[in-house]
Amino acid sequence: MTPALLTAGPLALDASFWVLQGLNALQLSMLLFLLSVGLTVIFGLMHFVNLAHGSLYAMGAYVAASAAGLMGYWAGVLLAPLAVAAFGVLLYWGLIRRMRRSGPMAQVLVTFGLIFVMLDLTRIVWGDLALAAPMPELLSGRLTILGLEYPIYRLVIIVLGGLIYGGLYWVLSRTQIGAMIRAGVDNDAMASCLGINVEQLFFLVFCVGCALAGLAGAVAAPLLSVTPEMGLSILIPTLIVIVIGGLGSLKGAIAGSLIFGFVQTFGAVLAPQLASVLIYALLAAVLVIKPVGLFPARG
Amino acid sequence: MLETRKLCKSFGAIDVTKSVSIKLERGERRVILGPNGAGKTTLFNQLVGELRPDSGEIHLAGEDVTALPVAARTRRGLSRSYQKNTLFDGLTVEENLSLAAAVATGHESSMWVDSLTRPDVREIVQEVANQVNLMPYLHAKVSAVSYGVRRQLEVGVALATRPLVLLMDEPTSGVGPEMSKGFHDLLNNLPRDLTLLIIEHDMDLAFDVADTITVLNYGEVVFDGEPEAARGSSLLKEIYLGSWEDA
Amino acid sequence: MFRHTPFRYATLALLAALAVLYTLNAEYFGLELVAEIAVLAILVLALDMVAGFGGMVSLCHGALMGIGAYAYALLTTAGGLTAPVGMLGAIAITAAFAWVIGAICSRSHGIYFIMATLAMGQMAYSYVFEAPIFGGDDGLSGISRLDLSLIGLDLNDGRSFAFFCLVMLGLAYGFSALVLSSGLGRSLSGVMHSEQRMRALGACVWRVKADMFGVSGGIAGLAGVLAAQHVMFVSPGLLAWTVSGEALVVVILGGLGTLVGPLVGAVAFIMLKHEISDMTSYWHLVVGLILIAVVMSGANGIFGWIESQVERWRPRRAAMTDEEIRKREVLSDA
Repeated sequence: MTPALLTAGPLALDASFWVLQGLNALQLSMLLFLLSVGLTVIFGLMHFVNLAHGSLYAMGAYVAASAAGLMGYWAGVLLAPLAVAAFGVLLYWGLIRRMRRSGPMAQVLVTFGLIFVMLDLTRIVWGDLALAAPMPELLSGRLTILGLEYPIYRLVIIVLGGLIYGGLYWVLSRTQIGAMIRAGVDNDAMASCLGINVEQLFFLVFCVGCALAGLAGAVAAPLLSVTPEMGLSILIPTLIVIVIGGLGSLKGAIAGSLIFGFVQTFGAVLAPQLASVLIYALLAAVLVIKPVGLFPARG
Repeated sequence: MLETRKLCKSFGAIDVTKSVSIKLERGERRVILGPNGAGKTTLFNQLVGELRPDSGEIHLAGEDVTALPVAARTRRGLSRSYQKNTLFDGLTVEENLSLAAAVATGHESSMWVDSLTRPDVREIVQEVANQVNLMPYLHAKVSAVSYGVRRQLEVGVALATRPLVLLMDEPTSGVGPEMSKGFHDLLNNLPRDLTLLIIEHDMDLAFDVADTITVLNYGEVVFDGEPEAARGSSLLKEIYLGSWEDA
Repeated sequence: MFRHTPFRYATLALLAALAVLYTLNAEYFGLELVAEIAVLAILVLALDMVAGFGGMVSLCHGALMGIGAYAYALLTTAGGLTAPVGMLGAIAITAAFAWVIGAICSRSHGIYFIMATLAMGQMAYSYVFEAPIFGGDDGLSGISRLDLSLIGLDLNDGRSFAFFCLVMLGLAYGFSALVLSSGLGRSLSGVMHSEQRMRALGACVWRVKADMFGVSGGIAGLAGVLAAQHVMFVSPGLLAWTVSGEALVVVILGGLGTLVGPLVGAVAFIMLKHEISDMTSYWHLVVGLILIAVVMSGANGIFGWIESQVERWRPRRAAMTDEEIRKREVLSDA
């Protein structure tokens, strides 16, 4: 079904439909990007698959919701990435560092176990009931663009995702530390021969990845109800994004996020019967044609 | 038996195989010489099908196999050993040989019969183990035996596919002079109708076992002929400079 | 490569004896437990075949089990087939699906293989959820158990059904062991250790993978058929990826690549689940911690650990020690 056919047909859908769905798709894409970029760079650099990344996102959402209740929305948004990054530090020293030498299978399993642990830990701390996070006054209105009213908060998420992408792109391509990370992704043994402290780099990237997951949770919290299962339900989309995009690359993460966001959003409105199958079929197709994803970090 | 016609391959701007045409008769033993980076292993990879040539043809026993995948060429009688050991490390020496023999005898996809205990498989394993001196190590895990034994097994696994043509990529690489001598005996033990194409750095060994010699330089065949003629060639001296004096 | 050792035979005999004794004496709840363990055990046998012996860590085995369950339900209700034909049909359908999945995913490795199978499984899950003939969220009911009145058994009786499940488990185990010891099973080991060499030997690698995945899928299908007969109802939850994840946990808990270990794992997992659920509602926390501890310990699960202890205590004659190898090398060099 092509857009041209649709607009020409009896179902003629006006421009505002496309703008609205396009923005929805972008907003979903950017949220997924915040999550997947940390996961994919951690994988690219450390060859470490952290299945518990989604649980870090859930943790971010909980911290943000609780802190917002006590100190207001902005405190929550600031505190969540910090808290999750701090938790990431604990994780790194307690588990990840010890698992560096094990195979991917062991890493997948340990982080799978971590999902279970964190699931119940959030239940113990915050209870089973869904938590609602408040939306800040400033961002709760609507904005009119192209004759269409759209929630400011969702626009902010799109802008935030764009900014983070730009920032990461700049850091990776223009700065010393970015060059070191790229060298590490390309060949970590060679990088450490060149005098780069790869271990320290891992730690830094891991913490940044965790902070981004926390941030994603914090900005998503006002849009969704915060539940213990939210980490589990976001995990599969995030994994699909990084596998479609190709593990280890920023370009892959943004491309995968956009593909997922648009296929999911437009699939749901244009072909509701197929929507849920569509994205998995796409993933399967990508893996058959390019088994390492569209933009893998290493050829 | 094995023939290439104007085989070409380049990686970007670098030509690694330049119009290589060689022809091996049945039972011929040919050694490929050439300095590092001459394109010897690249040529091998094209012969067995791990790399697709840009142009040219490869013929095996009269059949054009240029477009065939690796496994199909092996089933038609082309087998190779690797310069860098490519073995089933977690398995025993015997299991390594058996897997190869199982494919050769067509038991590799049977769902009911244990290929390891088939008499025809056992027979090949015994025979090859004798040929390459692996009898004492049959029940040892590959990861537990020495590098030299692994080199022997590398050739043994290739032999156990019952090939018509055997390609050996530096069979003595990384082993001491004692082993090189052992390898010489090994070659003498092989049936005379088996066609051999060997990449070798050890000059003594090369001149000793070769019926013919091909020299590659920058992807090009610069010499093709009898070992005696090669010994006198000034071109070769130039290419091999230092090591030539030792030969 | 797969082999039966005296220790493995002994473990199997012990498990079988315990299962029979327990089933003879169990009450209603105990019999439910036996059936539950048997179904899980068949599923993890199937998973261990491909994951432990072929390096194909699948996250779609839950979905395959679900396909088996739905196929049996549809064939025997809407399809009007008798239960035995329905069982065989369901197993064949699941095997066919699995073969196709195995063929499609055969080029992917490591984490990509895991993701590819996950995608396949989720696709099946989503489809079953959406398509009207599968009853959506409500699932399908009205499923009957196999009629064995010819030999005087009524499978609607809990004890008979538990024994029936155990017999099926025994058959599944025997079949898995047979296929793993066959030419195909040996080739799969070769593919796991070096795909490149296996190809160079002339084996058709993707066929080996697809064939074994198909066989494994057939066994997962049997687990699904039994699950459907057990609760006489199927729902999309059977196909969820967490079921596959749980199966993987059980395989790891028991001992990957031992075939006997996953049986031990299935028993331990279900028992633990019921014990802990009685004490606390945070059952996942405990399982998660156990999983992390088992993997970090470096041991190959419960059974793998015991087996390695037994072997260290009494070295097998087949495998030479490093000492012996060195001795022989010295001898042959001289």
